[in-house]
Amino acid sequence: MRVASQPNAEEAARGAAAGPWRLAWRRLRRNRVALAFGGLFVLIVLFVLAAPIWADSVAHTGPNATHTLQKLEVGGEKREVVSPSGKPIGPQWFEADGRFFLGADGRLGRDEMVRLMYGGRTSLLVGFSAALLTTAIATLLGLLAGYYRGWTDTVIARALDVVWAFPVILLSIALGLVLAVGGLELGPLELSGSSIWIPILIIGAVYVPYMARPIRGEVLSLREKEFVEAAEAQGASALRVMFGELLPNLASTIIVFFTLGVANAMLLESMLSFLGVGVQAPNTSWGTMIYGGFQLIASAPLLTVLPGTMLLLTVLSINVFGDGLRDALDPRSKLRLEIHAGANEPEGTAV
Amino acid sequence: MKKQGLVLLVIGLVAASAIGLSACGSSGGKEGGTLTGTYASFPDYLDPQLSYLQEGWTAMYDTYLPLLTYKRVNGPEGSKVVPGLAESLPKIGNGGKTYTLTLRKGLKYSDGTPVKASDFASTMERLFKINSPGSFYYESIVGAEEFAKTKKGGISGIKTDDKSGKIEIELTAPRGSFSNELAMLFVALLPAGTPAKNLTADPPPATGPYMISKVEKGRAWSYERNPYWAKDNGPEVSEVPAGHFNKVELRVVRNDATQVNEIERNKTMWMQTLVPSDQREAIVNKYEGTQFRVEHPLNVYMFWMNTEKAPFDDPKVRQAVNYAVDTDALERIYAGSMAATHQILPQGMPGYEALDLYPHDMAKAKELLAEANPSDRDITVWTNNENPNDEAAAYYQDVLDKLGLNAKLKTINADNYYTIIGNEKTPDLDTGWLAYFADYPNPNSFFQPLLSGESIAPTGNTNFPRIDVPELNEKIAKLSEEPLGPEQESEYAELDRSFMELAPMVPYGTNTTSTFVNDEINLDGVVYNPAFGHSLATFELK
Repeated sequence: MRVASQPNAEEAARGAAAGPWRLAWRRLRRNRVALAFGGLFVLIVLFVLAAPIWADSVAHTGPNATHTLQKLEVGGEKREVVSPSGKPIGPQWFEADGRFFLGADGRLGRDEMVRLMYGGRTSLLVGFSAALLTTAIATLLGLLAGYYRGWTDTVIARALDVVWAFPVILLSIALGLVLAVGGLELGPLELSGSSIWIPILIIGAVYVPYMARPIRGEVLSLREKEFVEAAEAQGASALRVMFGELLPNLASTIIVFFTLGVANAMLLESMLSFLGVGVQAPNTSWGTMIYGGFQLIASAPLLTVLPGTMLLLTVLSINVFGDGLRDALDPRSKLRLEIHAGANEPEGTAV
Repeated sequence: MKKQGLVLLVIGLVAASAIGLSACGSSGGKEGGTLTGTYASFPDYLDPQLSYLQEGWTAMYDTYLPLLTYKRVNGPEGSKVVPGLAESLPKIGNGGKTYTLTLRKGLKYSDGTPVKASDFASTMERLFKINSPGSFYYESIVGAEEFAKTKKGGISGIKTDDKSGKIEIELTAPRGSFSNELAMLFVALLPAGTPAKNLTADPPPATGPYMISKVEKGRAWSYERNPYWAKDNGPEVSEVPAGHFNKVELRVVRNDATQVNEIERNKTMWMQTLVPSDQREAIVNKYEGTQFRVEHPLNVYMFWMNTEKAPFDDPKVRQAVNYAVDTDALERIYAGSMAATHQILPQGMPGYEALDLYPHDMAKAKELLAEANPSDRDITVWTNNENPNDEAAAYYQDVLDKLGLNAKLKTINADNYYTIIGNEKTPDLDTGWLAYFADYPNPNSFFQPLLSGESIAPTGNTNFPRIDVPELNEKIAKLSEEPLGPEQESEYAELDRSFMELAPMVPYGTNTTSTFVNDEINLDGVVYNPAFGHSLATFELK
């Protein structure tokens, strides 16, 4: 355990020649589990990117097109997409040439496979965009607060505390309820209540304190290092120090936070959509699909299980890959964790 | 001769017993025992003057009686107002502004207090004192508005005489639906001096066949027979049955599937809740006619179109939308609980005459839209987030898109949906979903709030299509002053047609409810009133 935590001599020797990114890549390659989940994530992305191809060439329907009264011809037999009692047709696989491959989504008779693919695009779009927004704002605030300290730090830290004081879900629901009705008008920015950017903005905003505070802490520590002093001694401006010296040293932290942020944003989006204040119908996301399927949980459990499983696999793959990325980019963080875990062992290696 | 006399005596005794039994309203089922039932949620109130949800109305329909009530029978007859605690229907005079009734003699509350005519005045005063949600129905009584403000000095338009039992009510203007309003639970008689506060935890004395005997708030409540019904009230109030069970025990079971399961296992006899949609087909197939029956409450589900704004300011566009919407598809979206209709008045409402001016025809719809050729095709479809209403609106949005309009859906939390769409300042109020429930079986309760120009208001608007046609407004106003009769019913049917020709909305169905009982209960005996729900006094064992 301790050996694993200490970069070995060979690696150290090679490290002298290779850059930090190459070293990280080498470490990541050795982490087979992380790579496998990274591969799974790539497959999921490819799956959702193929949505228009599947919809146009195989299913011949869009994600929001309803087929409530339509009958499907399967091997000369006519099957109702939605039964008179409102039960949707189950998976047809390739029996109907790929139409209703996973069945219909509910009483509206929309193609479940098409919606699953398009829903994934929305969930990933929300996840990545919200995480990107969180990362950008949190990094900027963390840099400003950590570098300038003093009243700048006080103002930013207290503002973050205010947001932090509200539970994430409650704050998101409140914002979602308000913005879903009136939309958002912020100077030149005008968004209607049903815009997909509303949940992105909400999720992006509520997670800012959770990322900005650790970044600020890291900046506070980094700004005392010699390389910052050296840059300042050479007359570098504050902006130059923040973005030229400090930001590159924060890269590994930011990347790891970003990946975990994507997973958190996707989960929060699902939660908000389930509660009706996230992605607005008829747009679909895995969250709205879980909500829709939940209404028919007894008669068509697959409608909840499918988007739930996709969400689980995506979040799991991002989390495991993100963990691997953290280990690869900053092996010392793992070392710190292991030392903490093995604090009672007399041979514990000091950092 | 002696033998002949004995035979005559026996025949006489049998005949007397038969007459006696029929007077008691018995249909030959077993008497006594306990009726058990389940609700999905506890009633809003167990105080007749505060409850404004059907759960509460069902719970108190056979405990608190107003001066007028409804016949405890199924079908159109059940929508007819009959005397309750009053001897007869009111005598209406002074051009429809004075209602005179006489209280039946010898009535008693369940605590033994005699019922007096002056109790009507104190009951009306309590209604305003506790700010009852139903008080607006009675503001047309002379002096009521002033009393509502001051809560002092009595209501000058109500005169009572305890000796003769005479009650005279004077209205500020004729009001054709006032008899229906006198049959609401809000004005069920309570003893003078009943505290003007919510009495759910300890309900006030009753006048009906049952009284609420125990309340575990939020969980359960039960009834016992009113000890003064059999001797004092029952023989007088012949329109209300005495009830077959000695006790009724109701409790809250949140999960509707559990409620079904309990009925199937004979753990419960009745569920007030609608059967869950995904179990409906199985229940219908297995129990329809024996333990299950579909009921038609007084509601219409529809999509309104804002007639003040393009593109729906053009009747051709509205008619095109009516042709485009397929009520069969919506029936399926509601999993069979929706009974398709394409008119304003629901089945069971006096004045209802089946009508469908717009049978589904997409080609014709597109033709009409092409003729209208609206310049503004971007519209917002409003709905709330309750399932399957949100799905109905998603279907509607898809239909509008297929028709050639560019519709986007706006889903709002159900709690503030009507507040938002009833506010004229809300942007993009183009079209949307609406469910309208009438409080009593009088067609005016649909036309006045939904379609009269007088109902258009900046906030709290109920005329969602914002339709304002002077000649139809006048007709609604005129009919609203006249008590309901065959002539008025046919005029309301005509009004229904006139509005549907203008197509300010797309009515698509009545959301039905159900009676589901266990195999011990005689389904045919159970009476369902479209406004109040099930009458507990009509339940009997087979």
